[in-house]
Amino acid sequence: MKIAISAESADFEAEVARRFGTSKYLVIVDLDSGDSEAVPNPGASAQRGAGMQAVVLAISKDVKAVLTGYCSPAINNHLTENGIEVVSGLSGTVGEVVERYKKGDFRKHKEVELEYRPRWSKIDKAMLSHAIRSSARQFATMLPILVGVVLLMGLFNAFVPRDILASIFSGNPALDTCWGACFGSIIAGNPINSYIIGRELLTSGVSLFAVTAFIIAWVNVGLVQLPAEIAALGKKFALVRNAVSFVLSMVMAAVIVVIFNFVMG
Amino acid sequence: MRLLIFPVSVLAIYGILFAISPDNIYMALRNSSNIFLTIIVPLCLVFILMLALNLFLKPAQIIRFLGKGAGIKGVILSATAGIISTGPIYAWYPLLRDLREKGAGNSFMAVFLGNRAVKPFLLPVMISYFGWVYVIILTAFTIIASIVAGYAVGVLVKERSSPLSYHSMP
Repeated sequence: MKIAISAESADFEAEVARRFGTSKYLVIVDLDSGDSEAVPNPGASAQRGAGMQAVVLAISKDVKAVLTGYCSPAINNHLTENGIEVVSGLSGTVGEVVERYKKGDFRKHKEVELEYRPRWSKIDKAMLSHAIRSSARQFATMLPILVGVVLLMGLFNAFVPRDILASIFSGNPALDTCWGACFGSIIAGNPINSYIIGRELLTSGVSLFAVTAFIIAWVNVGLVQLPAEIAALGKKFALVRNAVSFVLSMVMAAVIVVIFNFVMG
Repeated sequence: MRLLIFPVSVLAIYGILFAISPDNIYMALRNSSNIFLTIIVPLCLVFILMLALNLFLKPAQIIRFLGKGAGIKGVILSATAGIISTGPIYAWYPLLRDLREKGAGNSFMAVFLGNRAVKPFLLPVMISYFGWVYVIILTAFTIIASIVAGYAVGVLVKERSSPLSYHSMP
């Protein structure tokens, strides 16, 4: 059985953190094997949603109990609903509370906590109101970036004429595939636009390699909306995903066209 | 305030370019307003989905289906969701962010985004432009590529954890 202790640092001599959601670490202890690890709490530096991030971490580590200084009622509910016992009001070091837990010092506390199980069998006004506020808040943080991205796309469409694309392609399949992926990467938009532009490029004599790379990159890679993706999913995720997709667009273009040519004889 | 830096910078670019080429700026504004009109419905759909997510789905369920250990189930679910999602990619970022905060894995986010290229209702248009053989091959490899991208992102973008200096307990 694993338990998690909110801690200020990553060792057994660390003080139990005062608040579960914003603790720097969760010390995960396997009471059966004796193994342990300290996991940085993603909610430690978060201003909003810190508690939920710590809940998600605890669930993902498959802990059965959380020991902490203080846990808010909402976070307490999330943990207990997911079968995690909450023992709060603790102080001392991580090692001390683990030993006390093993001895059963918190058994009475456990009974009190387990009795408190809110009923979620029906949606009530408070739940709906909270869900609406939460969704609206998440939207509101993304909206300025989305507005900026749309304005930038309008600018690009107005200032970059489409026939400029056809003039760049030289006829070298490898280079054209690269150019196709590059142009497709600038804006990610509705796929149908890429089909229309791709068709025009084909009729202008641009190779199928380039057009295929363009179509694939159009949907998967987008420099213009990179700020929005970074804001939503994090810088590392956005940059890695776009880089991987850019490379894959060229590789896939080569594979697809070779197979197509083989099938068509 | 930090959230406003990007849109304000774009507006500043509009201002500068307006002095150089006002006709193109009017066209840009018309283009942008058309784009806004096309994304209103998908954004409303996304908001409703986020509401449903906040009401009905607990983090444990999200982790079970889309968490790091969800396996093939998570791949199928995120690929299907990507295929049936409508509207531009940035309309879905708020929902993806919410899912990720609640425990969905990076690889499944990437699989979802990659499979957005597959649009069954656009297949007739594609076939009329490029032929059905090309479209079948392109669609099949788009799905494969999204899974490869998802795997690569899952490997390259990892969560860190540090072992304790004290090892096994007595």
